[in-house]
Amino acid sequence: MKKLGIVFSIIMLCGLFSCKHKEGEYHSLKEKIEEEGKHYQDPGISSEAYIGDINTIEITEGGHTFLIPERKGQIKSFACTECHSKSLAQLQKGPKEPKAHWDIKLNHANANAMNCATCHNGTNMDNLHSLTGNTIDFNQSYQLCAQCHSAQFEDWKGGAHGKNIGGWAEPRAAMTCINCHNPHRPQIGSKWPVRFNTEKENERK
Amino acid sequence: MGDKKKWFQLDLGLGQKQAVAGSCGCGKPSGGCGSHATEPPKNDLTISAEEFDAAVEQELMEDSMVAQTRKDGFQQVFDRKMDRRTAFRKLTASLLVGAGAVHTSCSVTSGEEAKEKAQIDWEEQFKGNYKLMTQEEKQATVDRLVRSYQLRKKENIKMSAADASKDVLFGYAFNISKCQGYMDCVSACVKENNQDRNSQMQYIRIHEMKDGEGFKFNEADDNYYHEVPAEGHFYMGTQCFHCDNPPCVNVCPVQATWREEDGLVVVDYDWCIGCRYCMAACPYDGRRFNWSKPEVPEDEINKNQHYLGNRLRKKGVMEKCTFCVQRSRAGKDPACVEACPTGARIFGNLLDPNSTIRWVLENKQVFRLKEDLGTEPKFWYFMD
Ligand code: SF4
Ligand code: SF4
Repeated sequence: MKKLGIVFSIIMLCGLFSCKHKEGEYHSLKEKIEEEGKHYQDPGISSEAYIGDINTIEITEGGHTFLIPERKGQIKSFACTECHSKSLAQLQKGPKEPKAHWDIKLNHANANAMNCATCHNGTNMDNLHSLTGNTIDFNQSYQLCAQCHSAQFEDWKGGAHGKNIGGWAEPRAAMTCINCHNPHRPQIGSKWPVRFNTEKENERK
Repeated sequence: MGDKKKWFQLDLGLGQKQAVAGSCGCGKPSGGCGSHATEPPKNDLTISAEEFDAAVEQELMEDSMVAQTRKDGFQQVFDRKMDRRTAFRKLTASLLVGAGAVHTSCSVTSGEEAKEKAQIDWEEQFKGNYKLMTQEEKQATVDRLVRSYQLRKKENIKMSAADASKDVLFGYAFNISKCQGYMDCVSACVKENNQDRNSQMQYIRIHEMKDGEGFKFNEADDNYYHEVPAEGHFYMGTQCFHCDNPPCVNVCPVQATWREEDGLVVVDYDWCIGCRYCMAACPYDGRRFNWSKPEVPEDEINKNQHYLGNRLRKKGVMEKCTFCVQRSRAGKDPACVEACPTGARIFGNLLDPNSTIRWVLENKQVFRLKEDLGTEPKFWYFMD
């Protein structure tokens, strides 16, 4: 009886150890990810080449550091003060027809919540400004969006909202808000799917 | 030979049969089935099976390099106990390739290129299972395939034999609230992975489902054509989920499909016998079969290939999403992730605590399909 007891406890012990520590023998994928992730070492794979010729800037927000496309270089007639040499009030005194931006119609929130001046500063057109009047650089325009869209901002920082650029490895690069959403008309419209499978259609007839 | 064997072999019980009874299919040592009378006694053969084996062995071992330790594809076919008849059957099976090779290599009229082609065909015919190859053997087969393509099509392709990296486990997340049903991913996948244009094969399916009715795949439409997103509907993409405990792998009788160290479930198209067991075993409709020879117009072929990924397939083999192994192992996003205009597709390294995929798993309400099966798919769904 005693012998049996010893044998039994040895088996139990073996069971205990082999259960946890044998490679690839985890109870669940979740456990495996947690365990193997503990001694994670950078595999040394780089995604840098896949960012291509996009000019990026590095930002750090809430503990996440990543690259986003630079903006000011992409605006055709930046700096804005090249044209906006006088304040908006003075410029608007001229002819009735606008010389530029005639295509911009604001379709974002409602008129009570938002107008041009919510983001643009009539006296400093080279920068944007926050709700409290702090200056925000065009390259950091996501800070404007984050004032209202805080849930999306959280997801974007973590990587659940928005689009990754290039590759999954370091350095992380992601599109910023205005790369997908036109800030003056942020809704994304419907369209047709890019393909239709005629073979599948025939098969199922 | 048992433990020295490097390659997987299908044991049809040939060895036992030989030991128990002569060579009669009835299994009885004498009489009863009627075929024993005409069957010549085994001893009457001019050379015995063992002698024949020995002779073949000796022939093969002349190549002293291979003889030392490793046994490559050629030996793997021949270096086993089998009776004469089986051996000859084996030989004839490979005769087409062999005859071609011998013919061209002996002929004085055929050119160097034809001889090289035949040589490559010969070696490819007798190569082993990719899963069991050493890195050099993998590189050798990839080089042969590149050269073969060059000889045949006068075009250069790039083919990688990159192995899984340590500390990488690939995972995927799909945002149901973001997918709009545009199908850009499907198009990108077809192009990237050289899928058959004739049968319009697609690894990805986008299912259009009614809001508020749960996930009813049988009622969903995966071949819609109207303006999207359609009112009152949502979209859900499926493809191979690269299960960590993949049922498709267990059923393959020849181990032509397996799970790699970085979690990718792959197929060796040259080892697959096309039995489609794996297709039946997959609970997610993740696998596709080539009923005909896949056709891709020459100018549309993606020439950046991987042995386990988008290299050109042949008729009668299984294929499926590989998370674009040719891209992902090089640090690039899979084609579907890159093509999706909504950012609904998230891909990354599950072992990296700072990766975006990990953030999604830890901070969003994620779920997987048929989780209760224990297949552990590495493909999660979530909503905003
Ligand atoms: S989804 Fe299907 S094909 Fe892909 S690994 Fe799982 S069982 Fe295999
Ligand atoms: S179809 Fe090919 S990969 Fe699938 S089980 Fe059969 S041999 Fe294996």
